[in-house]
Amino acid sequence: MVNNVYLPRIGEIIEIKDEVKGARPIKTFRVRLTDGPIFSFRCGQCAMLSVFGKGESMISISSSPLVTDYLQFSILKMGRVTSALHEMEPGNLIGVRGPYGNGFPIESWKGKNLIFIGGGIGLAPIWSVLQTALLQKDDYGELMLIYGARTSQDLVFRSELQQLKNQIPVHLSIDVAEPGWSEFVGFVPQNVLDKKPSPQNAIAITCGPPIMIKFVIKALKDLGFEDDQIYTTVENKMKCGIGKCGRCNIGHHYVCKDGPVYSWAQLKELPQEF
Amino acid sequence: MMEKTILKSSFPQWIKSLQSFKVFIPKRENFGWELSSNNQILEIASDYTYPVVPPKKLIFPQEEIFFEFEQNPDNGIELKEVLPEESPQVIFGVRPCDGRAVEAMDLVFGGSFEDLYYWRRRRQTTLVGLACHQPPSENCFCLSVEGSPYSEDGLDILLTDLGDRYFVKALTEKGEKLLSEAPSLFKEITPKDREEKERVHLEAQGKIKRHLNGARELPEKIKAIFDSNFWDEESSNCLRCGICTYLCPTCHCFDINDETKSLAPLRGRRIRTWDTCQFPDFTMHSSGHNPRPDRASRLRQRLAHKFLYFILLYDRFQCVGCGRCISLCPVGIDIIEVLTRARNHGK
Repeated sequence: MVNNVYLPRIGEIIEIKDEVKGARPIKTFRVRLTDGPIFSFRCGQCAMLSVFGKGESMISISSSPLVTDYLQFSILKMGRVTSALHEMEPGNLIGVRGPYGNGFPIESWKGKNLIFIGGGIGLAPIWSVLQTALLQKDDYGELMLIYGARTSQDLVFRSELQQLKNQIPVHLSIDVAEPGWSEFVGFVPQNVLDKKPSPQNAIAITCGPPIMIKFVIKALKDLGFEDDQIYTTVENKMKCGIGKCGRCNIGHHYVCKDGPVYSWAQLKELPQEF
Repeated sequence: MMEKTILKSSFPQWIKSLQSFKVFIPKRENFGWELSSNNQILEIASDYTYPVVPPKKLIFPQEEIFFEFEQNPDNGIELKEVLPEESPQVIFGVRPCDGRAVEAMDLVFGGSFEDLYYWRRRRQTTLVGLACHQPPSENCFCLSVEGSPYSEDGLDILLTDLGDRYFVKALTEKGEKLLSEAPSLFKEITPKDREEKERVHLEAQGKIKRHLNGARELPEKIKAIFDSNFWDEESSNCLRCGICTYLCPTCHCFDINDETKSLAPLRGRRIRTWDTCQFPDFTMHSSGHNPRPDRASRLRQRLAHKFLYFILLYDRFQCVGCGRCISLCPVGIDIIEVLTRARNHGK
């Protein structure tokens, strides 16, 4: 019997946390699957979440694959489905299918220093790798996080970030100065140039708004990073999640299936249409 | 592989013998030919060209239900999978281009994630091809995209019209099974039958008027002019109607949406519908960002998918040269002309 890839499993929201309030709110959802254990997945993979009656949306999994009690998603309220998710409460049921996409090749990063560079909600897919590297700290070299948002209130995982500072260097930034802010003021790429992470035996993983990614890559290149030392994730509108519905392609790559993770060496060879 | 002949006068008996199948035969409608399961028709009309809507619709329908959802009294959600019925169907009069198109579509709906809905119908479908005597359209160009008026690709049977009889070549087990439903109607072939069939095929090839030269050079060329303003000029008339893709036998893009019948308790269904890369909202993010924001990038996507991306993925064109997109485009965008100009661009 062939599995019906379009039929979701039923997930129950077990916890919702407000990350960011205001006009561009972000909430973090923890979801268990009602019919059994969660599926295994790789860091950087995504799941198609449904709100029945509204539709589906592809969301990156922000928890570590080493955490098997729940799947975690941090979601910016944007369209029809994510708005409906923001209306939900613990105990509500959603559809979950996946995991989809290639994920980060973290096995090949063992022994290397990892530099995480995020902007806004772009911390979510990176967070899965970061948590995994923290749980398997002996396998990796030095870890560092450079993360920024528009304002201090737009930073996600704020309490987790404070704890993280006890474990690894964390360099935060906001775009415009605020009273009481003692860290970097400016855009994330500027903070990268300011903190000067070394390319020596390092991998940089960056995710955020497309314009930020573009300038982070430029900054990393200026610091001497090679194209295959830089990894990022790409977003596109998706419906099927399995490379058939035809809308998320960049050239002959379907981001849902062949992405969303690309090294800059791979991405720069594709048509610049994203 | 099995070769026979059948007299046209026996053809209706063959159709009638196919009791266990839903049989589709070309029917003349005022808009053109349609593949119809109306049981009155027992032969293929001598002036049949090809169906306006290609046979893909019988395997990949324009709209289909994936599942129904319903909130139950204790607030759980019940999903009821709605799979296509397992009922065998036979499609008569499939032109060789449309057979090759089904084969191309098989590649998309197969692979690492098999599409259950597609394959349920596909495995139940027997495609009876009909070699072209005359090009069904003045815009046919199958020879330019590695096809021919008598290509067997994707078909289960290929019929060739020899005047008072058909040359019948069963190409698959499914095809042989169809012959075994009325074995007495089929005669052994003679050297003359074979000779005549070869002649018909060769003549048909000579009647094709339109050609897209150097199609295998297009992938490199499209890559080279990807960022050129060539696409702006070529697409400026486009009305974004999408007919070039809806009626293309290889286009497979689709949308998935929920339809709600009742809010409390929640009841509805998730459906798949055909969609097209020619609609602006096809790729538009919920943020408003659109990676293919204009006519130029959308025309480029349609042609690059067919003549670059599909070749990189499967080493074949995702165009079978049926010419429907040319004949039906309300503003005269002609894929042969556009691609010919693309080839010569910058020369």
